[in-house]
Amino acid sequence: MTRRVSRGPLSRLLRRVRGVRSRDDERFLLLHLPAGLTLLLVILAMLGVFIAYSIPIISREGLHVFTDTTWRAVEGDPQAEWYGLLPAIYGSVYTSLIAVLIAAPLSVSLAVTLEELTPRRLRGSLSLLTDLMAATPTIIYGLWGLAFLAPHMYPILSWLSNHASWIPLFSKHPSSGYTIATAGVLLAVMSTPFAAAVIREAYSMIPLSIREAAYSLGATRLEVIRILLGMIKPSIVAGLALAFARAIGETVAVSLVIGNSMTITPSVTDSGITVSSLIASQFGNAGFYHYMASALFAGGLVIFAIGLAVNVAAVWYMKKWEEKVVGVAS
Amino acid sequence: MTGYALDVRDLRVTLAGKRILDGVSFRCPEGTVTAVMGPSGTGKSTMLRAINRLLDLNPEARVEGDILIRGRSVWDMEPYEVRRRATMVFQDPNPFPHMSIYDNVAVGPRLHGLARSKQELDEIVRWALERAMLWDEVKDRLGDPPSKLSGGQRQRLSLARALAVKPEILLLDEPTANVDPVNAVKIEEAIRSLVREEGITVVFVTHMPSQAVRVSDYLVFLYGGRVVEQGPSREVALNPSNPLTEKFFRGEL
Ligand SMILES: Nc1ncnc2c1ncn2[C@@H]1O[C@H](COP(=O)(O)OP(=O)(O)OP(=O)(O)O)[C@@H](O)[C@H]1O
Ligand SMILES: [Mg+2]
Repeated sequence: MTRRVSRGPLSRLLRRVRGVRSRDDERFLLLHLPAGLTLLLVILAMLGVFIAYSIPIISREGLHVFTDTTWRAVEGDPQAEWYGLLPAIYGSVYTSLIAVLIAAPLSVSLAVTLEELTPRRLRGSLSLLTDLMAATPTIIYGLWGLAFLAPHMYPILSWLSNHASWIPLFSKHPSSGYTIATAGVLLAVMSTPFAAAVIREAYSMIPLSIREAAYSLGATRLEVIRILLGMIKPSIVAGLALAFARAIGETVAVSLVIGNSMTITPSVTDSGITVSSLIASQFGNAGFYHYMASALFAGGLVIFAIGLAVNVAAVWYMKKWEEKVVGVAS
Repeated sequence: MTGYALDVRDLRVTLAGKRILDGVSFRCPEGTVTAVMGPSGTGKSTMLRAINRLLDLNPEARVEGDILIRGRSVWDMEPYEVRRRATMVFQDPNPFPHMSIYDNVAVGPRLHGLARSKQELDEIVRWALERAMLWDEVKDRLGDPPSKLSGGQRQRLSLARALAVKPEILLLDEPTANVDPVNAVKIEEAIRSLVREEGITVVFVTHMPSQAVRVSDYLVFLYGGRVVEQGPSREVALNPSNPLTEKFFRGEL
């Protein structure tokens, strides 16, 4: 027989949560709820701070802070200060898109190489290596980009701008190796292991029976791989969304290789700037000016919003896919 | 021509060092159904995978002996050619979940360039679905995912997918084991008419003696990795010469 228990108000409240039926359920919920809620509160508090700190600049410039290209810091004269974030927003999105475009084939190839083409004996050490790549601090990538990648990209980019300047991508002759292209390539290298890990995980979960089905139709190995990759498309999208999030949030490595100039240009052979690298390079000085800190917070808000939008889009895509494949739609 | 679509000679297979098949030989005349029977774990599925070289995918498998498809050794062909000429339908239905019904059937013809136009592809897909006795049930929803089909329909979709590459030999691994009786009958009918009207040769693994008699022309009885009895199905089923076969048919093995 069930023991009669008198339920207090807390218990009654907890029982309204779906799936909570017993004392054990209540305890479980009580144990985990605080941690989960705390995290949620921290995120909301963060967002709150960013909104609050952005208010001064937005009430002064309105939406121009997001759409203007002028960055004028004047000491001791707040009226003369003017901050437009557009070049940085543009640079953030541009470099991250380049990174994702490069990381897409790289991460898929890396995942397939590890899962399909690497002998069992080597697989362990190779995947350890990619995990290591993911765990490497970004400053290490930054220094590598600064000392190695940028100088080596320079002749390539020069050649491209000499021979293909009619393509807007290469219209500007680079003055150094510190360019948008360099930042994009570096970000691609940094985010590939993350995307590859997600893709690999999904690839390794494909049932043997599906693999056998593909082979037994007379597909070659490459054709089988193509069929199987089609099956994990949502995970590829999720992996690339993760790569994008990592790329757009990256700070120090980018600021070391992008050249930090406030320009908007289609040319990847030109230098540029991103919101994160702008914040990193300017925040130390922000105390000397009246509105700069607020402008930088507004930039943070933009990055936050873009990251959110990309993730929502990825989740939406996966849901659509699920509806299509599992047929739960309508 | 030898007149045999499939000629298995002294097939020996070890998996992870364990001997599974120990000298299996049998021949399937062109346009016939051969039922392969035997207790669970004797290596029937393994044998089918050896025939179309799916075992190549298993690094722990060792295969010896010869397998001839229309007189040509599978070892002289590319594995994907072997698998295209001898396609397999598996114990559990395994359509590609991310492809529509149509694309599941079209994937093979597309791989092998069997259709020169959309119209030709449509015709192959329709032919395969009709042959698998599924067309009437899905013709108005070819764009649906296989998840919207019943288990038996999914198995017939797997059959249609295998047929669409126009194989010479069809390897069926207990295709009705996980399917309700109505679907089982449909699959049996499909197999009979395929052999009769399209001249395909079928190797058919089954657990059910009654099914073997209904569907097959020849019967091969495997036990302990060897063929212990083979011959025309009716004869073997009604009048087994080996005590093991008899025991199996009485349901005691
Ligand atoms: N990949 C594998 N590695 C090692 N051993 C295996 C492998 N696959 C199957 N076996 C073993 O090989 C033997 C034959 O398996 P197989 O699946 O061919 O039998 P079967 O006759 O098809 O049985 P059932 O009627 O239950 O389907 C079994 O003992 C099984 O344990
Ligand atoms: Mg089996």
